[in-house]
Amino acid sequence: MEQGQMIRGADAVIKTIAAHGVKTVFGYPGGAIMPIYDALYGSSVEHLLSRHEQGAAFAAVGYARSSGKTGVCFATSGPGATNLITSLADALLDSVPVVAITGQVSTAVIGTDAFQEIDVLGMSLSCTKHSFMVTNVEELVPTLYKAFEIAASGRPGPVLVDIPKDIQIALVDYKTPLQAVMPEPEHTQTQIDAANTLLAHSSRPMLYVGGGVGMASAVEPLRQFIAATGIPSVATLKGLGAVSYDTPSYLGMLGMHGSKAANLAVQQCDLLIVVGARFDDRVTGRLASFAENAKVLHLDIDAAELGKLRMPEVAIAGDLRQILPALSQSMQIEAWQDAVQSLKEQHPWRYDRPGELIYAPAMLHRLAQKLPEDSVVSCDVGQHQMWVAQHMYFRRPEDHLSSAGLGTMGFGLPAAIGAKVARPSAMVVAVSGDGSFMMNVQELTTIKRRRLPVKILLVDNQKLGMVKQWQQLFFEERYSETDLSDNPDFVKMASAFDIPGRNITLASEVEAGLDEMLNSEGPFLLHVSIDDAHNVWPLVPPGASNQDMMDEMEKQT
Amino acid sequence: MSHYSVAINVQQQPEVLERVLRVVRHRGFKVTSLQMQLNENNTTSIDMSVQSDRAIALLTNQIIKLIDVLDCQVLASQTNKTTESAKG
Repeated sequence: MEQGQMIRGADAVIKTIAAHGVKTVFGYPGGAIMPIYDALYGSSVEHLLSRHEQGAAFAAVGYARSSGKTGVCFATSGPGATNLITSLADALLDSVPVVAITGQVSTAVIGTDAFQEIDVLGMSLSCTKHSFMVTNVEELVPTLYKAFEIAASGRPGPVLVDIPKDIQIALVDYKTPLQAVMPEPEHTQTQIDAANTLLAHSSRPMLYVGGGVGMASAVEPLRQFIAATGIPSVATLKGLGAVSYDTPSYLGMLGMHGSKAANLAVQQCDLLIVVGARFDDRVTGRLASFAENAKVLHLDIDAAELGKLRMPEVAIAGDLRQILPALSQSMQIEAWQDAVQSLKEQHPWRYDRPGELIYAPAMLHRLAQKLPEDSVVSCDVGQHQMWVAQHMYFRRPEDHLSSAGLGTMGFGLPAAIGAKVARPSAMVVAVSGDGSFMMNVQELTTIKRRRLPVKILLVDNQKLGMVKQWQQLFFEERYSETDLSDNPDFVKMASAFDIPGRNITLASEVEAGLDEMLNSEGPFLLHVSIDDAHNVWPLVPPGASNQDMMDEMEKQT
Repeated sequence: MSHYSVAINVQQQPEVLERVLRVVRHRGFKVTSLQMQLNENNTTSIDMSVQSDRAIALLTNQIIKLIDVLDCQVLASQTNKTTESAKG
């Protein structure tokens, strides 16, 4: 235990952050957080200045998701804090460990509508795992320790700590608090026995792998379980990378834009083993007919997910690293494996598209082939995001950053910045769309400031493509406000931030374009004007069952 | 429609009642009566009746996850058969 010393609350904040092994924080200063920025000045904690608090918090999310470590962001009171909200909501929906520290007006004027005062604690209730307002400087350090513990334990999530300015300048006797450890659910042998009985009686088992696997550091136990059992598998958007893409009987992503083989196989299974996933509506399609004839074995750290949307026959809340090995067994399921393989062969992705224009799926598939082993792909939201999920492949879940639960446009660029800070030796590529890119485009300045070698692949169809696709299919081709043909000149814009770039428009330019981007020294923007006729296929229409996927060009009339 | 009586014990925090009530509303339950009492050991007892078409576990599983909630018990439940509808 460290001996006490009187320091400012603001210094205690920086000291506590450093004590948690955080080397870089992301943020934006302002009036009510000035003492903390003063404490930061010259400290061992590095700060990366974003140009909007949403960008700072997304960078913290990208840092956390690409490294498994807790990300930290700072913002001032009022608008600084409200600008964090979207990113915190994103981190909540995707269970990302983030600690957000906001300045607040002094305690004496809280509740008087003071300048830049907003009830941040109140706003945080629905978009954080937990939140605190510190009103006594003695509570500051213990609260921050709790915040780090809560963010990373169990099912991770964002935690906000609101610190009034007078608490930041008050003196405190800094002591390392005794760490409170959050209780974790533990499985029982009875549950394991019940699960093993389900497995033993299944002839068509299917693994439905979610983001919980990566966050539980259970990728290796899962791969060992698959190697031992031979059970076929599918993954959610966040689960991509947990199962190695070349694993036999692995069918890729399921759900609305999943592979047809994945969806059909899930519909045919007799036992659905749900691992760190939560029956999201984009996964299940019509819930009542999702894997209709299957029993369900649900494994998750969060007991509230068990039975939330689908009642499982056996549910186990606990640590996947312990549960999966306890279920490992050899299984006689060759006929089922063959059936799954046959589905995979019947529904392959095809990249041999005729025409001179650029077919985005083929380009992204080529990018996956070209990426070095240590790479991170950070997506935005929309058609390009689904093409990345369908046509790229990832070594590990932490190599694929995608705003899955909240679906936040503007995620990709700042998350890529956070990933580059967390993993400086990795090749980091932000794959964005022309709609999403503009949502946090100010973060190009953050790249410029540090000369961060982030590669930006901007997939441009001059449309809000996913909305346009739905207008085409389900709203009688009434293209309300989805035309973006007045986009700026993206290459010229990048050059204003000292980021070199170039535009390609022809399929024949893809190879050289990708090579130039990947081989460039610093940041680079490859602006790809794609064939705007293409949509994301296949597709489970809203309200339909997953076996009823629409195939390409099949228009609803 | 089902009616439930729920007893929740929480750590005393200024915003804890808001936290609990937000979850009740967001998860699809309506508060029909509410009483809260500060206890001497820094805890607060919240007794409430709620109604919903949804199973009570969908609420209690979420409430118990709140960091400041120490305990959450369903004391009684009553289902009005005539208005019970299939989950759609």
